[in-house]
Amino acid sequence: MKLQNMKRKWIAATLASGLLVSAFSGISATSANAAPSTCINKIFGAGGKAAGQGVTINAGMLLAMTGAGSFFGDVMSKGAKLAAEQIKAAGGFNYKIQIADHKNGDVPTALTEVKRMVSQGKIKVLQTSYGAPSEAIAPIIAANKVLTLNGGGSSPGQLKKDYLWQNRMLFGEDPTAGALAWIHKKYPTAKKLAIIGTQENGVGAQTTTAPNAWKKLTGGTIVATETHDVGATDFTAMASKIKASEADAIITYSFGNDPGYQVKAFRQANITAPIMGIEFTSQAQEVAGASYDTFTFATDFYNVANPNPWNKCYVAAFKAKYGEDPEYYGSNYYEQVFIYWELVKRVIAKGGNPNDSKQLQAALKANPTFNSVYGGDAKKVGQASFLLSDHSISKPMGVFTVKNGKPVLTQGIVKVAASADPNSALK
Amino acid sequence: MNFDLVAQLAISGLVIGSLYALLGVSFGLVYQTSKIFHLAGAIPFAAAGYAAVWAAKSLQLSIWLSIFIGLAAAVIIGVLILVLGYFPLIKKKATLLSLFLISLGLSVAFPNLLQIVFGVDNLPLEVYDAEGNPAVPFANPTYASGFLTITKLNIVQVVSSWLLVIAVLYTIKKTALGRSITALRTNPAMASAVGINNKVVYLVVFSVSSFLMGVAGILITLQFVANPTMGLQWTLIGFIAVFFGGITSLGGSALGGLILGLLSSLSGIWLGSQYAPIVTFAILFLTLLIRPQGLFGKEAI
Repeated sequence: MKLQNMKRKWIAATLASGLLVSAFSGISATSANAAPSTCINKIFGAGGKAAGQGVTINAGMLLAMTGAGSFFGDVMSKGAKLAAEQIKAAGGFNYKIQIADHKNGDVPTALTEVKRMVSQGKIKVLQTSYGAPSEAIAPIIAANKVLTLNGGGSSPGQLKKDYLWQNRMLFGEDPTAGALAWIHKKYPTAKKLAIIGTQENGVGAQTTTAPNAWKKLTGGTIVATETHDVGATDFTAMASKIKASEADAIITYSFGNDPGYQVKAFRQANITAPIMGIEFTSQAQEVAGASYDTFTFATDFYNVANPNPWNKCYVAAFKAKYGEDPEYYGSNYYEQVFIYWELVKRVIAKGGNPNDSKQLQAALKANPTFNSVYGGDAKKVGQASFLLSDHSISKPMGVFTVKNGKPVLTQGIVKVAASADPNSALK
Repeated sequence: MNFDLVAQLAISGLVIGSLYALLGVSFGLVYQTSKIFHLAGAIPFAAAGYAAVWAAKSLQLSIWLSIFIGLAAAVIIGVLILVLGYFPLIKKKATLLSLFLISLGLSVAFPNLLQIVFGVDNLPLEVYDAEGNPAVPFANPTYASGFLTITKLNIVQVVSSWLLVIAVLYTIKKTALGRSITALRTNPAMASAVGINNKVVYLVVFSVSSFLMGVAGILITLQFVANPTMGLQWTLIGFIAVFFGGITSLGGSALGGLILGLLSSLSGIWLGSQYAPIVTFAILFLTLLIRPQGLFGKEAI
């Protein structure tokens, strides 16, 4: 939201609602600007009955709408809402969204909300987020056959679960070898590594994947392993310990705002070692300020400037609707709605029932490749493929450096097996 | 033992403990006067940060003027909570539990209101140009001596926190206003009988408490950013500091905050960062078990 509008919005909100009323009013739907449909039709084909026109799919979204992670819920819901509008305008299905708040990863709340959406909201598909809540709801979605996609907090614990699929690379696990190989290439004398993370996501990467890969690459040691609560802001004590460990390089598996707070605290403590992360958000960049220009990260990062025709269409529509560029998480949830659309079209083409999640999942398994706003080039749309063996996905990954607050692709990387030479992760 | 590390952790503990001390005195002042567990003190904390950012970006004011507006907003909203929230309930003879629940409800609801009005983005406090782009980043150099480092803002946080704590303690001990507060705390009926206007004293106390919260909110916004959950995140620890130091002693609340900050930071010598919140609550639990009145309090509540 632009600050220039703050005064007007403040007055409006104060007059209209009052404190408590506002608090319980929930997250309002964003204005429904008509999205351009021509580019969507050009890429995905004509609308009409075969494209799902007239079919309504009740869709749930399990997001962090309040609390420290509300940024994620906001951008994820924005992506999905835009996709729903674009598809409907292009003559596709009616993707009817209901949003539930898991309150920044609270598992009991997530379980309650999913049960409610299944029993009362009659959802057939679900867009979930975060690691712990998504792992916890897996039995419910399998029992009720709710085809679910997670583009926010993919973890090994969510793999091979019926009806649960990941449309982002595994958080922490997949980019680790490439990230450390890049550090080794760029800083060949670095031997001592400090590892930072949380107990929420990427635990296996912190405890096993990174130490093993670092030893293979450098023969060096792990001199500090620090974990912290999700949403922590004060990293001064951690900075002291990292500094005392004399680490040559730091890899952080923290996410959200946390890497921003860390980088700021570490640089203020005069720690000069390179810091590698596994995600970038504009919010963390706001927290860290100029110090984030010393930050590097490895991930399946969404590139807003990607000339892929679908991405160009998406970016233009997103800017028109929300007045800002899309980013990583919003893009994943935008893509998810198009995946559901594709599945609905396939089921209709076979004369099936698009409101049957069993048939939707069968269509996914029959052909796990979908269009993507990631990858591709100026002439062709990118593609991403689900892996049928474990329900993860394969997308382009890279190591990015931050320059003037903007991520710049520095090195392409690929996922490699744990037994492989980590250097082979560099493209 | 790595003495450099111990010294650096002590510096970190001093900085964070000074902020806790400021928050502790703010809570303690309201509690000692009104017996209200004023969790809604988180509201002026966040309001100060947001108002300052709004003034800097939307009105293109200087940092100092923006801070002034932030502090004014904190005081105004603190007084509004008293006048529109607590006074009507006190008039209806509401129990302290009811007042606490209202306070808790407001503190939980306010972040939602901030999210609706300002959005979910993190908002840094900087000087902006006419187009709303950051023109002058807030300068916060790091001073180093060997292994040890401290930033300019950290020094400001420590000095301003303790100056304000000392000013409040002096006012309570040595001025007519302080004597009125003490009288009101000791025996409200008698205080009224001798001509002390309880409402005015409450207004002054809530203004001062909200001002202290506002200062803490500004200092945190300058260090990091303003975001919807910033209020409760910090003020809950301040609340713990009050009980740890002794809720019946303002000086004890301040020292409680300082000790809490030092202990949670120094625990990093042996424990990982994820244990810091556990250490904080364990310290509170053990203290209340051994001294229910807190480290420096005279009576348990």
